[in-house]
Amino acid sequence: MASSSASLKRREQPMSREGDQLIVTPLGAGNEVGRSCVYMSFRGKTILFDCGINPAYSGMAALPYFDEIDPSTIDVLLITHFHLDHAASLPYFLEKTTFKGRVFMTHATKAIYKLLLTDYVKVSKVSVEDMLFDEHDINKSMDKIEVIDFHQTVEVNGIKFWCYTAGHVLGAAMFMVDIAGVRILYTGDYSREEDRHLRAAELPQFSPDICIIESTSGVQLHQSRHIREKRFTDVIHSTVAQGGRVLIPAFALGRAQELLLILDEYWANHPDLHNIPIYYASPLAKKCMAVYQTYILSMNDRIRNQFANSNPFVFKHISALNSIDDFRDVGPCVVMASPGGLQSGFSRQLFDIWCSDKRNACIIPGYMVEGTLAKTIINEPKEVTLMNGLTAPLNMQVHYISFSAHADYAQTSTFLKELMPPNIILVHGEANEMMRLKQKLFTEFPDGNTRIMNPKNCESVELYFNSEKMAKTIGRLAEKTPDVGDSVSGILVKKGFTYQIMAPDDLHVFSQLSTATVTQRITIPFSGAFGVITHRLGKIFESVDSSTDEETGLPALKVHERVTVKQESEKHISLQWSSDPISDMVSDSIVALVLNISREVPKIIVEEEVAVKSEEENGKKVEKVIYALLVSLFGDVKLGENGKLVITVDGNVAHLDKETGKVEGEHEGLKERVRVAFHRIQSAVKPIPLSAE
Amino acid sequence: MGTSVQVSPLCGVYNENPLSYLVSIDGFNFLLDCGWNDLFDPSLLEPLSRVASTVDAVLLSHPDTLHLGALPYAMKQLGLSAPVYATEPVHRLGLLTMYDQYLSRKQVSDFDLFTLDDIDSAFQNVIRLTFSQNYHLSGKGEGIVIAPHVAGHMLGGSIWKITKDGEEVVYAVDYNHRKERHLNGTVLQSFVRPAVLITDAYNALYTNQTQSHHRDTEFLDTISKHLEVGGNVLLPVDTAGRVLELLLILEQHWSQRAFSFPIYFLTYVSSSTIDYVKSFLEWMSDSISKSFETSRDNAFLLRHVTLLINKTDLDNAPPGPKVVLASMASLEAGFARDIFVEWANDPRNLVLFTETGQFGTLARMLQSAPPPKFVKVTMSKRVPLAGEELIAYEEEQNRLKREEALRASLVKEEETKASHGPDENSSEPMVVDTKTTHDVVGSHGPAYKDILIDGFVPPSSSAAPMFPFYDNTADWDEYGEVINPDDYVIKDEDMDRGAMHAGGDVDGRLDEATASLMLDTRPSKVISNELIVTVSCSLVKMDYEGRSDGRSIKSTIAHVSPLKLVLVHATAEATEHLKQHSLNSICPHVYAPKIEETVDVTSDLCAYKVQLSEKLMSNVIFKKLGDSEVAWVDSEVGKTGSEMRCLQPMGSAAAPHKPVLVGDLKMQDFKQFLSSKGVQVEFAGGGALRCGEYVTLRKVGPTGQKGGASGPQQILIEGPLCEDYYKIRDYLYSQFYLL
Repeated sequence: MASSSASLKRREQPMSREGDQLIVTPLGAGNEVGRSCVYMSFRGKTILFDCGINPAYSGMAALPYFDEIDPSTIDVLLITHFHLDHAASLPYFLEKTTFKGRVFMTHATKAIYKLLLTDYVKVSKVSVEDMLFDEHDINKSMDKIEVIDFHQTVEVNGIKFWCYTAGHVLGAAMFMVDIAGVRILYTGDYSREEDRHLRAAELPQFSPDICIIESTSGVQLHQSRHIREKRFTDVIHSTVAQGGRVLIPAFALGRAQELLLILDEYWANHPDLHNIPIYYASPLAKKCMAVYQTYILSMNDRIRNQFANSNPFVFKHISALNSIDDFRDVGPCVVMASPGGLQSGFSRQLFDIWCSDKRNACIIPGYMVEGTLAKTIINEPKEVTLMNGLTAPLNMQVHYISFSAHADYAQTSTFLKELMPPNIILVHGEANEMMRLKQKLFTEFPDGNTRIMNPKNCESVELYFNSEKMAKTIGRLAEKTPDVGDSVSGILVKKGFTYQIMAPDDLHVFSQLSTATVTQRITIPFSGAFGVITHRLGKIFESVDSSTDEETGLPALKVHERVTVKQESEKHISLQWSSDPISDMVSDSIVALVLNISREVPKIIVEEEVAVKSEEENGKKVEKVIYALLVSLFGDVKLGENGKLVITVDGNVAHLDKETGKVEGEHEGLKERVRVAFHRIQSAVKPIPLSAE
Repeated sequence: MGTSVQVSPLCGVYNENPLSYLVSIDGFNFLLDCGWNDLFDPSLLEPLSRVASTVDAVLLSHPDTLHLGALPYAMKQLGLSAPVYATEPVHRLGLLTMYDQYLSRKQVSDFDLFTLDDIDSAFQNVIRLTFSQNYHLSGKGEGIVIAPHVAGHMLGGSIWKITKDGEEVVYAVDYNHRKERHLNGTVLQSFVRPAVLITDAYNALYTNQTQSHHRDTEFLDTISKHLEVGGNVLLPVDTAGRVLELLLILEQHWSQRAFSFPIYFLTYVSSSTIDYVKSFLEWMSDSISKSFETSRDNAFLLRHVTLLINKTDLDNAPPGPKVVLASMASLEAGFARDIFVEWANDPRNLVLFTETGQFGTLARMLQSAPPPKFVKVTMSKRVPLAGEELIAYEEEQNRLKREEALRASLVKEEETKASHGPDENSSEPMVVDTKTTHDVVGSHGPAYKDILIDGFVPPSSSAAPMFPFYDNTADWDEYGEVINPDDYVIKDEDMDRGAMHAGGDVDGRLDEATASLMLDTRPSKVISNELIVTVSCSLVKMDYEGRSDGRSIKSTIAHVSPLKLVLVHATAEATEHLKQHSLNSICPHVYAPKIEETVDVTSDLCAYKVQLSEKLMSNVIFKKLGDSEVAWVDSEVGKTGSEMRCLQPMGSAAAPHKPVLVGDLKMQDFKQFLSSKGVQVEFAGGGALRCGEYVTLRKVGPTGQKGGASGPQQILIEGPLCEDYYKIRDYLYSQFYLL
């Protein structure tokens, strides 16, 4: 075989279906809420969804289990939205690990991400060793983050992905990834309910093969938005009417904007409340307003219509507070302050002051992470521990009114029923809630065609997709559609996960590749008579055609239709040929021959019998080499009857006929392998036929 | 066989007329752009009117009149009802452009081709896509995927990729490969070997693009030179397209130099335009979105530019040198025309054109070399009716109402007289036409009324049912004269300023709801004056059109190297030039169809699909080459359960094939590679690469072509027998894959 495909070097050929195996491993958010990070790998492509921290912990403990994976192998990292539990370990991952892939998020997410993390670094009061990253890392990470617009399709190394509106917060996205035709939807946090400023999560156009879905709300059902809003405003109204103070601990971004829109509108409709101040204690949120004002296109039509007249994010009844020092606690008021979990900071300071007065109220508007004070006071304990370590009675009213923009059970089950994904993987939910959700979903999809999984952190879900590889034969090669049994030979070009077969001449037409011919011309000093060369070549090569060069009139020879030997001058001859392995070899031997003549060493012609003998020797040698190579490939190779070789692998036996190359045996796979291996060995050790084409 | 593709231009081939092309893909008709020009000549749309009802989808590429101007008219009058696809900025800025066009027209004529409502309803159902969004059509277009990609010419400007069964049709007009302040360059180069490329040859002969920073310096110097001697600078601009780039240049320069000269941006929709543009950051250049992400600086928070939406504000502005950007760029209507007339006779002033005016417009005339010394201009003003006229109008309105009521009962009678009536109708207005508009209203109004009440239809009164049309006809005639540049008629100018703008003033305050501006129903009329304007101000033209120039067009097309190329939108000369160029060096199938000439660009590509069996694939060893991997396969067709052909390994040893070297050798890269290996290497004459002392390497065969269209590469290596020779040959081989 002339082609170098005869090379013995071959890829590890997996007998398993490794190539079709799809692995999903939560590195965080598996049976827990916080530090979302899901690893996925299929067909050698690797994707990481989200890169969060667990806000309840600090330092390394807050990170997802990055040590489970090799960050350098990840092709693409997709961030769904800016919340800390989805994006906050990104600077660490980008700057402190070997990750070298590409990162994508939406425009709004990127703009807020920077503000939010810078604030996070400033606020979190941890020791220097515990600092995962600093402001410098955040700024550096900004250069590496690429932006993607909703619905925009991006392709990286054959991985196609695009995103849909997720509803949850401004810029939140659900990512759909397409690898070799297998589609995976990662919802991140999503909400199917339109609120005051955000659109509801879209229903993807295509049904995914796998849906990795959040399960924060478990089997809970949300009250309708109007009831929630009414409860919220009623509690506030009655509290301030009685002279109490209302504390709303909320995360600075996301729900806070929604609540402010509600309050501003309520105040506008109730003039009697105009003397009661509403404060918004977050410089961060103030900074982010510019982002909210700009990415109007990511919001719903209501806001976009309002925007045409005036900016809905310029509040008329709400003022901003920069710090607790600016706050004069003189009478009833409404204060929204971060953090939402009451761990520390402004909201905690106010809580400590206000918690023992029963006129006051605290409204917890969203999801509370396990282990935070907000989660504790929901159960209305008699006493709480203040920041200074003392305990105080908890007299203030605590209301939990969920405005969390996470899909509830009704939304989740309708969403899944619309999509009908054959595989559902639950993440981002507290273990018990998740279990209940799983049970309930089983009852919704009773036909058994749907697999529902809830892996723990670092626990891999393995799925198999035996997708057929399709190729398109195009160009000259496709002029005639072949029938069964016809052969098709050509160049197979693989780009991403698409295959094309074409004739070599068409390569430049249908791909960016091109073929080349390399013409070689070499001059050799030779001062003898040209006739000598003609004579010697004639003895060695089967076909030597003499001719005369048209231009110079000097004699020329064509050896095997490949190499032209020409007399250039008295002292030089030249060889010209078009590169390919055989021609190169022929030309080498001509060169050797010419040099030998030049050396004028009298040569004795080797006798015939030696040649015969060596042929026999060669034959034996070939046998030996074939045997040795087979042994090195298959291990157990024995000489059987009729000169057949018996090859045993894992109890499967194949009989190989060395003469014909025929293989007999039970196991198809083994048979095929032996046949191919033998074929290749033969083409490597047997003489090369000169008559290629 | 491939997907059937036919292209037939409806407007805008072999000239600079607006763009509008019909592309039919397997029977699904796409209307690519739906443009009109500033003259609003309905005759341009005749070809469109013949096919409008068969259109299945409209794709818009840029938010200016030339690309979408005819949309409201076509939707209203020509029966176009297909869904429209555009990017969000094209939709929004296109809408504003049309508002501006309408309001500018309405101010100076009884413009009746379309109304604000028509514009609204035309744009209401635009389906908005983002860049690189693959939108799958459904229904009749099942299997077709459309996607807009960055074109670079205007904000949101798109080149469209239409894909069916893996065959790509790319429509790319007015693209710009250069990155600008507010826009990224086009991504057209990233499309390789589409089946069909439909592109314009507009700039094919224009190759004199100066470097952008030189151009900017010159631009700003010219402006400041005139400002410093106390002159005013007028930049006639489009409503919401290229003007954005100019605003950024001026804004940036003004902040650097701390200039105190005011800049005004004056269109009917300027404040809405900038408000929307501020929220389109994700469509702009990387640097703009980056600066917002890191420092929340919105580039379109203009600190030095004052946005104006009526001319009174400009007139009230403190006197002194100023820069005014006003629409329309063609000077055919809009504020720019008024300002031009006012400023033209002062030699200190400057009118700076940033784009070539549309053919046959005042702007184009002024751009000719040498510029004309005098131009005849018809200035028209809308003035509210007063006194007698108003009374007459009101009577007229009452009469019309009564007429409406009467009409129902008169239908039958009219029908019987129909054969006689129309003749009278058509002749009568022509007679009255010689008089001025208000005369007509004043004297004839009562007469019509009486007669109609009586129910008689005598010759003079038979025009009455046609009254509204008659009024328009008269004005249309006048308007027609206005827009024909060869036909300027002379009158004098005085009734201007305060009175006429009183209306505009009040409405202008409504700002955001500019749309409602002209819903004002106060009776008014249009008065035209013709005057000769002495052009003593400086006229300068600079290229801020934001299109790739001729050389870049050629290299871009060569890079894309489509299998078939269709050329549109350019002068006959430019079209022919690019056609010849492409035929010679890009692809053998170049078409430049005439209007309503259908060319079939169905690809003659043969293709069939096969399944690659697991057995075959397990024995294929891919070699990585750039983005793709290649391998040689020998296989035979086997059977599968389904209809599909399946490729399986050969049963017997495959016949050996001719070895193929795959790879693309760039001499420059190879030189680097060799020197990194310690070989002395340098370029000798004639593109030959001299390696070491004796060995030379050169590319032979057709040279000077980019892209892979030229066929296989031919490389010649020669030298004497020496070690170097074999070493270099090995290096050379290492650049290729042998299959």
